[in-house]
Amino acid sequence: MTVHHHPPDELLAMFAAGTADLGQQIGIATHLVGCAKCRAVVRAMEHVGGAILTGLPPTAMSDGALEAMERRLDETSLTSIPERRRGQAFRDVPGLPNFLDSYPDSPWRWIAPKVHLRSIRLPEPSATRVFLLKSSPGTRMIEHTHTGFEMTCVLSGSFVHAGGHFGPGDFDFGDGSVDHDVRINSTEDCICLVAMQGDLKLNGMIGRLLQPLIRM
Amino acid sequence: MLSETPDNETSDAARWARLIEAVAVRRDREAFAALFRHFAPRIKTFMQRSGAGEQLADELAQEALFAVWSKASLFDPGSAGAAAWIFTIARNLRIDALRRQKRTPTSDTSETELEFQRDEGPLPDTGVAASEIEARVRDALSVLPEEQMRVIELSFFHETAHAEIARALNIPLGTVKSRLRLAMARLRSLLDDFS
Repeated sequence: MTVHHHPPDELLAMFAAGTADLGQQIGIATHLVGCAKCRAVVRAMEHVGGAILTGLPPTAMSDGALEAMERRLDETSLTSIPERRRGQAFRDVPGLPNFLDSYPDSPWRWIAPKVHLRSIRLPEPSATRVFLLKSSPGTRMIEHTHTGFEMTCVLSGSFVHAGGHFGPGDFDFGDGSVDHDVRINSTEDCICLVAMQGDLKLNGMIGRLLQPLIRM
Repeated sequence: MLSETPDNETSDAARWARLIEAVAVRRDREAFAALFRHFAPRIKTFMQRSGAGEQLADELAQEALFAVWSKASLFDPGSAGAAAWIFTIARNLRIDALRRQKRTPTSDTSETELEFQRDEGPLPDTGVAASEIEARVRDALSVLPEEQMRVIELSFFHETAHAEIARALNIPLGTVKSRLRLAMARLRSLLDDFS
């Protein structure tokens, strides 16, 4: 898979630093599944984290902390690291990070002609909403505006807009702007993971009619 | 305390890696104590700067070192530097702690680690050892202008940090962003040398 569009470096830094919220984290983790190059950038940022950590001034630990820890080690047997239980959610959609399989699954819902949406419900409150969007070949996406940012990771198929062609692995980052004329140009369905902050506002009369359906 | 190696950062990194391996292979208590004495007080600072109170920071630092003990066998010196590996442990614990505040008490909070497992595919084979990458990242950091380093450093401590960094350093938001971009571009060009 050749990836042409990557997340901005600041997002990769936030991901590595652990300062992204869960919704953003899922968006970036999805890109990392298909992009070795960005995995390497994240790895480098983790080295930066290590360098920052070792460079911090020490704060004295509470009295007897090490001794208490040593007693704890005496009492702990290291027989096994528990196997993670694997769920089945979203296993039918290739290209998603593995950890999503333990999330609650949800069905595809029709939201507009030739467009289906599948929610990814997060286990904690997040300012970012995450969902899958499936559009049939030839679909023109409804013109929309968002008040926050929008991350779109292509899982299969492709679309094109003024910013270029986006195929599997590509990451489209929208920042409070209007996307004109997004068109699905693959011969198969285009499935994307979208992580979005702020409100999505559909423009035009059809959009206003569909608005209540999109709300999650 | 084990014998100190010369005050040289590269040999420090190699030393931490050896200590973790000693813990993994021999359950070496002496090695663990050395790791504890060095890293626990710094992780405590890291947690406090991330907003944890003194007691919580102390507990999280202890949890981090306990994780170093119990996960030592998962440490792969070929793919991770010791400090980076311990940083990721501390980072994940910090995320867990933040989530515990947000989630209902019964919900599962042990997912963070999974979310960062990038087992989906290998890193590009650069033929460069992790310790080498670590040394180069450190070199790159050491030549970054102070102001860029400050911005990077702070971005590791705050949630959705940029506006707060701007306030803390008393500079416009745009300046924070451009400094961060410059610093990241520098790191990225360094990585491009590998591929």
